[in-house]
Amino acid sequence: MKDINAKVLSSDTLAEGLIRIILHAPEIACEAKAGQFIHMLVPDCGHVLRRPISLMAMDAAAGTLTLAIQPKGRGTQLICNLKEGDVVKCLGPLGTGFDGKDANTIYFVGGGVGVAPICGAMDAFATESSCAFFGFRTKAHAYGMTQAPCRVVAVSDDGSIGEKALVTKPLLAAIEEKRPDLIMACGPTPMLAAVQKIANEMGIPCQLSLEERMGCAIGACLGCNVKINLPDGSWTYKRVCKDGPVFTSEEVAFGG
Amino acid sequence: MADLSLNLCGVQMKNPIIAASGTFGFGREYDELYDISALGGISVKGLCLGGRMGNPPSRLTETPSGMLNCVGLQNPGIESFIENDLPWLLEKDVAVIANFFGTSIENYCQAAEAFANTGVHMLEMNISCPNVHDGGVAFGVKPESVYEITKAVKQHSKQPLIVKLTPNVSDITENALAAQEAGADAISLINTLTGIAVDVHKRRMILANNTGGLSGPAVRPVALRMVWQCAKKVSIPIIGLGGIETGEDAAAFMLCGAQAVQVGTANFTDPFACPRIARELGEYCDAQKIANPQEIVGTLKSY
Repeated sequence: MKDINAKVLSSDTLAEGLIRIILHAPEIACEAKAGQFIHMLVPDCGHVLRRPISLMAMDAAAGTLTLAIQPKGRGTQLICNLKEGDVVKCLGPLGTGFDGKDANTIYFVGGGVGVAPICGAMDAFATESSCAFFGFRTKAHAYGMTQAPCRVVAVSDDGSIGEKALVTKPLLAAIEEKRPDLIMACGPTPMLAAVQKIANEMGIPCQLSLEERMGCAIGACLGCNVKINLPDGSWTYKRVCKDGPVFTSEEVAFGG
Repeated sequence: MADLSLNLCGVQMKNPIIAASGTFGFGREYDELYDISALGGISVKGLCLGGRMGNPPSRLTETPSGMLNCVGLQNPGIESFIENDLPWLLEKDVAVIANFFGTSIENYCQAAEAFANTGVHMLEMNISCPNVHDGGVAFGVKPESVYEITKAVKQHSKQPLIVKLTPNVSDITENALAAQEAGADAISLINTLTGIAVDVHKRRMILANNTGGLSGPAVRPVALRMVWQCAKKVSIPIIGLGGIETGEDAAAFMLCGAQAVQVGTANFTDPFACPRIARELGEYCDAQKIANPQEIVGTLKSY
């Protein structure tokens, strides 16, 4: 974990409403694992909280990190306005990351901006028998499929790419055909809750990457805590920044 | 280079920069980034007997030049802190300030007493948390109740007792005076200002607790005014906090009458904020030809 001045190598439009930024951040890239994130300082004064941004790709040799950022509020808009040559403070790598090293067949599930960390997980863990299921609003919002290391099935809200369906539909069909050793998912909460239900009911190991507003991002302030089920039937609050962002589907208690 | 050291209520500190409670945990996470012995003190995450779960998420949100939080005093309990975290913290060359709270006057007294035979250097009594319903600010609003709880807890405190005051009152100087009269060794101010944030698209509150505590540079002018007002009324030391981001911000609080300062939200913007502010305060002193910043405490010239 280091706090560095990262240089913006490029910034372009990845898909509708999504900006891709490639950073030169060798001190972070050499340690980073799929599913981890960086805490980016908003490049103006007045924004006191950094923004947690997950890693879409990391290249230790080139010293680069690839991010996909949705300009949702003023802070992320300012980050998305960064241009080639600009310098931005980044703390990272942070969080636990995905772990798929013991799995042969992994089904990856991503929705919207949540496809980005799934791309990182696919680069690290995809096998020939693995498959990814991506959900987008429309074809214009789609990304992350051209250089995928395994088969990708895309669906959309309007049918402009793939079937007009929720991403759980092709996921369920694939599970019926071949049960995976592991599911990894990142996306909007309703999608994660649906994937969690499928995985838990079928007893398939499943890792979910969560998103929460963060303060310190290193585990000190407890601002990003979420409800986590314990094996004895009780529950506790755990830190998305330090104990997560990746949790098992048995642990996560949505709506808590 | 200026000498930043001070003696606060009999506790020797290498500089007047203290990490503020609730933003710094017990120091372990920040110690991974830098040696926390660089700080004058650490006010640890607010503790109570038996621990507390805290509030449901979402617990924080950014606001203009600040943030709201409603963490709700989640902590593992005084017992767990003493056993698992305090021995590690005492190995560091830093003043350990145990921030604590309770649910009744009796429970506050028991909490203070729990630190009696530990190496904790000071106690900071939180009677000003806006985010919990059973305790906290309930004791901190009226001067009479500030007096009553301070008087009772002081009798059970082995270490110097700091009383942390809420700004959510009509006249904070009355509460500062009440704390002093009841025997407080120092006061710290300000805790957060109560606020809300609205999601207009979902037409509902952003924070799960509905209300939260506002901190960060947005509150700094209010905090400075309150420290300045209290310094004119009380003779016990004041620890100032509220939106300190730089060494010059720390100097401003000291000019207003604070002997030491706490840094909270700035740790999130810059994880190295505390040691940076200590360094910048030294640079300010050098530029101003001040041998020790204690010289300027309370020397602010009025128009």
